[in-house]
Amino acid sequence: MISPVVRIALVVFALLGLAACGPKPKTADEFPRQETVLIGVAWGDPTSFNPLLQNPSWPALQNTTALYQTFFFFNQLTGELEPQVASSYQEFPDRIEVELNPAAAWNDRTPLTARDVVFTYNRLYRIVPGFPAWQYLQSVEMLDPESPRPRRLAFRLRPENRNPLMVLHWLTLNYILPEHTWEPLLKAAGNDYNNLSKNKMDVNPVGSGPYRMHSYSAEKIVLERDDGYWGNAAFYGGQRPAPRFLVAPLYKSNDHYSMALQQGRIDASNTFIPRIWLKARKGVRAWFDEPPYFPPGCIPTAFINALHPPLDDVHLRRAMAFAINYDDIRELAVSGYSLPHEPGFILPFGPEGKYFSKEDALKYGTYFDPARAREELKAGGYTSVFKDNELVELRDRTGKRVPTLFIQCPTGWSDWESIIRIMVRGMRAVGIDAREQFVDSNTYYKALAVGDFDLILTTPSGMPTPAEPWSRLNGVLDTKDWAPLGERMYSNMGRFNRPGFPGYVPRIDELLTRIPVTTQPEERAALYRELNLLCMQLQPALPLVYRPKSFYEFSSRVWTGFPTAANPTVSPNIPGEGPGIQILWKLRPAGAK
Amino acid sequence: MFANHPTLRYIAGRAGWYVLTFFVAVAINFWLPRLGDANPVDTLMSRVSGSMDAKSARDKEESYLKEFGLVDLDAQGQIVRDAAGVPVRTSILSQFLRYVGMSFRGDFGSSIVQHPRPVLDIITTALPWTLALQIPALILGWFIGNSLGALAAYRRGVFDRVLYPMALLVSAIPSFCFGILLVYLFGIQLEWLPTLGGYDDGMNPGFTWTFIQSASQYYILPFFSIFLLVVGGQAIGMRSMCIYELGTDYVRYAKLLGVRESLIVRYMFRNAMLPQLTGLALTLGGMVGGALIAEMIFSYPGLGLSMLTAIQSLDYPVITGCTLLVTTCVLVANFTVDILIGFLDPRIRAAREGGH
Repeated sequence: MISPVVRIALVVFALLGLAACGPKPKTADEFPRQETVLIGVAWGDPTSFNPLLQNPSWPALQNTTALYQTFFFFNQLTGELEPQVASSYQEFPDRIEVELNPAAAWNDRTPLTARDVVFTYNRLYRIVPGFPAWQYLQSVEMLDPESPRPRRLAFRLRPENRNPLMVLHWLTLNYILPEHTWEPLLKAAGNDYNNLSKNKMDVNPVGSGPYRMHSYSAEKIVLERDDGYWGNAAFYGGQRPAPRFLVAPLYKSNDHYSMALQQGRIDASNTFIPRIWLKARKGVRAWFDEPPYFPPGCIPTAFINALHPPLDDVHLRRAMAFAINYDDIRELAVSGYSLPHEPGFILPFGPEGKYFSKEDALKYGTYFDPARAREELKAGGYTSVFKDNELVELRDRTGKRVPTLFIQCPTGWSDWESIIRIMVRGMRAVGIDAREQFVDSNTYYKALAVGDFDLILTTPSGMPTPAEPWSRLNGVLDTKDWAPLGERMYSNMGRFNRPGFPGYVPRIDELLTRIPVTTQPEERAALYRELNLLCMQLQPALPLVYRPKSFYEFSSRVWTGFPTAANPTVSPNIPGEGPGIQILWKLRPAGAK
Repeated sequence: MFANHPTLRYIAGRAGWYVLTFFVAVAINFWLPRLGDANPVDTLMSRVSGSMDAKSARDKEESYLKEFGLVDLDAQGQIVRDAAGVPVRTSILSQFLRYVGMSFRGDFGSSIVQHPRPVLDIITTALPWTLALQIPALILGWFIGNSLGALAAYRRGVFDRVLYPMALLVSAIPSFCFGILLVYLFGIQLEWLPTLGGYDDGMNPGFTWTFIQSASQYYILPFFSIFLLVVGGQAIGMRSMCIYELGTDYVRYAKLLGVRESLIVRYMFRNAMLPQLTGLALTLGGMVGGALIAEMIFSYPGLGLSMLTAIQSLDYPVITGCTLLVTTCVLVANFTVDILIGFLDPRIRAAREGGH
């Protein structure tokens, strides 16, 4: 009854089965485990490694410094810029001057000079549509063009939008690319971005970082150490990074990175792993060994649509802020990866801590306090109708029913869904008629930009940046690019503080303009304090919890020497993500002394 | 034309219907993802616009719209604008016509989310893994399941009493559940078999003994997660079919005539197999889409994830590319079975010839 085809198939299977059970020869691996660091850092199928794209694959992705480099690393623990291709910078009122490291070179051993920088900005970044740094930059020029190896540069600020903070932000993120390999490509593309961006840049791309492209497939991306990397001598006393290969396997879900880390198959990951303390017995550790496990760095926030009355009423907004149980959010929704909540949009710890005023917070801020939430509702003339302890509706001072307020987030983002459930429970308990609204992520993104929401969760300014906390406050309050509902806004999506309309507070815009150009630390601290105080009083949006900028988990099964809070030698980023590349010089094979 | 060729007429008639179905399906596949309010450029913009001002964001958005052919262009290649300066969106109908035109030239466009990767490239890198996992699991599972089912029906007794509940149990477990159980038991608790990926992280694919060895180790769990379910399902179906056939007149008549037992089983198997064959065609046709769960659970390379992410982010070209593939597979599989059954099933053959 069994056909010959099946018979052949069975034989092949039996053979494969034998092969699978046989002993595994260790020597034949292309990337021996003892010479390889594997990291969970990349997502999705590798598409293109062209660094001019907005969203290329790792390692051309922004904030990766293995292959392409930027001027500086941003250390999120200290808030300082650390030298990379540039050795120093100096701020002037109209410009920022940068000096390149005299040793800097490309991985084909051509020197990296100021000419490359000028080419990268003036020829490449000029043709990228919507390249963000040009909002703040007027021009880029060499200061020593006649030198045989020019290395001094001036970045001139736009006089009408002077913002040295954001210029520094872009200087830590924008890659410097080699003129000698890109000039011919640019010519071949006829100076056209769409043509140039079709180049995948996946065959021996020339960069200045410590690793080169080795190979890639839909399952992994492999980099190989460049033993002649210029920085070995310049920064590490001639020592090279320990692992020969840096491999980013591409798994299909967060759980797989977690499982691989517990099995020692990968060494570090920046993916979200819930309840990390349960993984400690398998050797998985984070930056801290106890809560919050990761240094908090950003604030998921509920934006409030100020153009949906009565959400323009400060009493209602403050009532909502008082009604939320922030401890529940921290403990139940985000695995305890946060510190106790403080009002306002400035982190009360870390490099920003010096701008935060606990005194203001206690006096004007909103902590979880249902009684005060009810007082605010009363002060605004609202009445809540309950029946059998269940909220029926909320009425405004004219007795009209306030329509149910929906709090939106993408469906399936389970931590955000939990946050919203806790918010809704708290609000309904004090008498605010709020409900969850979980939508398809495409709908969410559109709603966020065009203002199609009552309340919506988002994280203003998610990248680690020297422009913080300004960039976060600007993300919540910016009115420069005001657009009506239905048109897109990319900051202040709640459309708070509409210029020229009743209730407009011009002081907020003034402070946002002044903070970046202030050079005196005391003055800057005072301005930040004032702006954060206005946020506490006017409650433009609802800050909910603190989250890390990126997760940092590692396993010491194969490699030891990962920095932790007790040994903070490098900013808490895994290797392959921004400053985390420096970890590779500190690693030692496990078992070796 | 085919008056004297009933078989050809039959095939041509079926083929005509399938071509019609194909075009309707392609049109629906094209329109469905575009019906909603959102579009992929919004999703892309939200990812890249974090620190852009309004003007940069608008430039960026327009360059995307132009790139993906979502706005009308004039003769100079500039974006056509309405009175308010807002770009005029290309109508879905002209997008559709262009898509059909491109498809006929074998060009499925490039992905929006994985820009600028061609859709064909996405499909061709992922498809071999999907096929290598699914085809052996489905076909082998089908043969073994059906043989076991027929045997259980005919033999009854202990064999049936053990096999039937086991098959019921296995086929009743949802496939994602079954996969997770396998991972937990063999991957995490016993640590016998690898559960993540298609081969070891320490190598690149190639025709070497070590690679084949590693790939076969990684193959075992995903294979069984599909294979066992197919065996269970097919065995149950075949068993009840055979029990039904056992009670039919022709079997009783054959028995009364004293026909050899093995011959009776063969007659019976042929009849009971027909619905099962249709089932096989349907699963083979749908396997490209159905691979998703096993691929997600085992992080196995393949088309499933590309399709899922494309749908989640409204990546129109990839969605239409994948659904075109699924449509083609389903139709080709069904067509083959239609023809096969026409030859295998005497009743259909008789009806056809009788109509002549």
